[in-house]
Amino acid sequence: MKGSLPKLIWPILTAVFLTGAASAQDQMQIPVQQFTLPNGMTFLVAERHTAPVFAGYISVAVGSAYEVRGDIGSAHLLEHMMFKGSQNIGTTNYPAEAILMAKEDSVWDKIDRARQDLIYIRLNQPEKVETQQKYIDSLKTVLDTLAAQSSQYVVQNEFDRIYTRNGAAEFNAMTGYDRTSYFVSLPSNRMELWFAMESDRMKHPAFREFFMERDVVSEERRLSVENNPESKLYEQLIGTAFIAHPYQIFWEWQSEENNLQRRDLADFFKTYYIPQRITVAVVGDVKLDDVKKMAEKYFGDIPAGPRPEPIYTVEPPQPGERRVDVEVEGSPAVDIAYHAVAFDSPEQAPFQIISRLLGDGRTSRLYKALVLDKQLCLDISVGAFPGSELGDNFPDIFIIFAYPKEGVTTADVEKGIYEELDKLGSTPVSDNELQKIKNRLDADFIWGFYSNLGLADRLATAQNQAHDWHYLLKMRNNLKAVTADDVMTVAKKYFTPENRTVATLIPKVTGGAQ
Amino acid sequence: MKLRIVILTLVLAAISLSAYAVNPRDMKFPDLTFNPPEPTRFVTDNGTVVYFLEDHQLPVMSVSIMFHGGSAHDPADKIGLADITATLLRTGGAGKRSADQVDQDLDFVGASINSQAASDYLAMVMKCLKKDIDLGMGIFADMLQHPLFDTAKVSIELSNRKDAIRRQNDEPGMLTRRIFYETIYTGHPYGYFPTLASTDNITRDALMACHKEYYNPDNAVMSITGDMTLSELKELLNKYFGQWPKGNKAITPPPMATMQYKPGVYYVRKDINQANIRMGHLIMTDKNPDRHAMDVLNFALGGGGFTSRLTGQIRTSAGLAYSIGSYTFYRPEMGSFFALCQTKAETMGQATQMMLDIITKVKDSGITQEEMDMAKESLINSFVFNFATPDQIVDARAIMEIGGFPPDQMKKDLEAYKAVTLADCNRVAAKYLEPKNMAIIVTGAKETFDKPLDTFGPVTDVPLDIK
Repeated sequence: MKGSLPKLIWPILTAVFLTGAASAQDQMQIPVQQFTLPNGMTFLVAERHTAPVFAGYISVAVGSAYEVRGDIGSAHLLEHMMFKGSQNIGTTNYPAEAILMAKEDSVWDKIDRARQDLIYIRLNQPEKVETQQKYIDSLKTVLDTLAAQSSQYVVQNEFDRIYTRNGAAEFNAMTGYDRTSYFVSLPSNRMELWFAMESDRMKHPAFREFFMERDVVSEERRLSVENNPESKLYEQLIGTAFIAHPYQIFWEWQSEENNLQRRDLADFFKTYYIPQRITVAVVGDVKLDDVKKMAEKYFGDIPAGPRPEPIYTVEPPQPGERRVDVEVEGSPAVDIAYHAVAFDSPEQAPFQIISRLLGDGRTSRLYKALVLDKQLCLDISVGAFPGSELGDNFPDIFIIFAYPKEGVTTADVEKGIYEELDKLGSTPVSDNELQKIKNRLDADFIWGFYSNLGLADRLATAQNQAHDWHYLLKMRNNLKAVTADDVMTVAKKYFTPENRTVATLIPKVTGGAQ
Repeated sequence: MKLRIVILTLVLAAISLSAYAVNPRDMKFPDLTFNPPEPTRFVTDNGTVVYFLEDHQLPVMSVSIMFHGGSAHDPADKIGLADITATLLRTGGAGKRSADQVDQDLDFVGASINSQAASDYLAMVMKCLKKDIDLGMGIFADMLQHPLFDTAKVSIELSNRKDAIRRQNDEPGMLTRRIFYETIYTGHPYGYFPTLASTDNITRDALMACHKEYYNPDNAVMSITGDMTLSELKELLNKYFGQWPKGNKAITPPPMATMQYKPGVYYVRKDINQANIRMGHLIMTDKNPDRHAMDVLNFALGGGGFTSRLTGQIRTSAGLAYSIGSYTFYRPEMGSFFALCQTKAETMGQATQMMLDIITKVKDSGITQEEMDMAKESLINSFVFNFATPDQIVDARAIMEIGGFPPDQMKKDLEAYKAVTLADCNRVAAKYLEPKNMAIIVTGAKETFDKPLDTFGPVTDVPLDIK
């Protein structure tokens, strides 16, 4: 970790975003410059001097798909813990704090073991249950005492405070399945602050206030999944569509998340947060030379790590239609999923075109047929899950979300949807309709560069996912090359009953004033 | 969890802690000097105020128009009229194009037009590539001047709106939000939400009348930015909007809202495992000079994310909530202040009590110099993000103009934040925070709560029948 900095070699690649055909869009030039530190950390820089601000975006090639059974939730909880500061920020005395944290961890181990023992005590020595329960409660009291002792060293939320005081905007992070990202926008004269802060938490993380944050994450799950009818339906859909691949878990399971420990996160961090898996994009009012200097100064001394094992799990082919009913307090809805392909598949581009044909805009086929013409649905939309812009690292699912109108059955809605899907597989799409989709892709592609953060996100994500951000441009060309035949072939191959999973929301009425 | 040998990873890490090149905590930066590009302002012959900013970075155009009016102007028996009218301008056909033709022409070039009614203004936004500006502007102008209100599309929209009303209690957060506004704005249009009955009262004629009343050039402010020169723009506006006749109508604002509700708990029964809590009261209008001090105060109380008292104490220290904070929402006819959180049912009482205690303490004892400095530095240093993209720059000016503020309001806001003192903060805390007069909306299943609801005041059960 310490020692003199190695000599750096700067392979600089300068590229210019240019669209294909000769058109007004050729005027759009956003130079993207790239360099990689000797430890393998890649930086992308797009200078844009419109306003004295910049966006910093860090993409790490790990997400919840990498969690192992028993530790489900670690990627997300780790993302939360990264906001707790470092061994420097957020504390007045880290060594003293670290000793208390280690004590907390060992008390938690005792609680964990005592709870397991409780099962057998209940079975075999019921008279001792109360004593055991009291023992567990006493351990919890110790945990509270240790937390109180730690708090004397904690400078609460100092990491956030420093950014906030310096005018940060859009300061947040996201845990996906294949990637976790950390981002913020700052006034451009604060660029060095960003490097200092981000490198600090990457180099010297400190998972303080751990047990409280675990509870916070549980509340996030209650809010986002358990008490939201659409998410509940979605969770069951995904869990039913996948039987093997880690994409099957929509959110963490509270039972596992509630038992995560600091060392689980430390292991996860050490394994995956290595420079070769980290991509950084800096977009805005910055200069390449300054970014290079700071990258070397702040991130150059992180050692490269051993390459972790990839995810080997392949979802087995689905042998027949799967259906699941979800009874919750809510209104009727039906989600229909089909297994699809990974981002690197030649069928990714046709799938993206199909997604647009079916669900993008008021003239899209499903909206036109089911909402405007047949009036079976109040709304309908399509999406991929997990749903990255370029496609997902592993074969994902393509989903249709439909909301039936009052008095319309989900069976009628399903029938209407299958008719449209069958049409895609049997009749070629007209040139005009295909051209519409390509025009819309063009427009969205260009608008995607409007904000610093949007551009930083796309560059960092593409580089992290495909190991070359130019894949953004390659994908665009792939999309333009999709033919009516490609659409028919892919539709026919994938939109089959045996490849389908249907989740239906059945309203359960328990509400109302009591 | 799996049992493993306990390794004091973190202690070991501490021993190897290397020296810091620069400590982020001590880094100091000069104030940012920034003069955002000044949009051109002009008034068209038929009375539309236009803000324009040339921007040749991307081959795109963004065109917005705002009108005085909005859903707070809806007749009492036709709640929802302004928003449905706004939707039908977009979806009901325009000029020589049928509704479907409009959709096809816009979709084909990837252009978008969105139209909506806020409570105190109406807004329509068109975005397209520069090469399609004639098509986009032509359709946009026709929607505003020659809407067709296609009968079939009107009937689909009304029917879908009613379906949406039938679904309005499904999501606890949205439900709690609606009940909060219905309660604190009892008897005022800000508290009216569409019902099945009010939607049934809306006819095509009512939509046409609403359009005629509000969508007039002398009632409008436009904000435009993109890949075009000022002279090109003027020519374009003249071509598409030159013949738009003035309305010569003065729009009367709705009355001022006053407190008409009974303070206490409003219980919304829902079979869920988390309590959704939103508490607050009326506070001040958007023209109140105490607004800036209130913003600084609220930042320290619950608006400043992790730096605020509500988040620090309820989320970070107690782990009781994921989303927690307090908000001020200033409106022309009386704004509101509210704090909200969601916590597991078993800690509803604990979290509610903490929120009340924190608000009461700020009212009684104010905030500290350090808290105020943090809030002011953040508001001042992040001010530049109001001007980060060209559409933000022009849209902000249009919003100020339509809200009745002077053209240099943004600069004045920045100066006002700089001038706020601790005495100001503590004066507005004492004057405006009213923890004893709050409507406390609690959505959840009361038999699972840790404390009876009447701990926090008299309890009113809120019926959830769909009317």
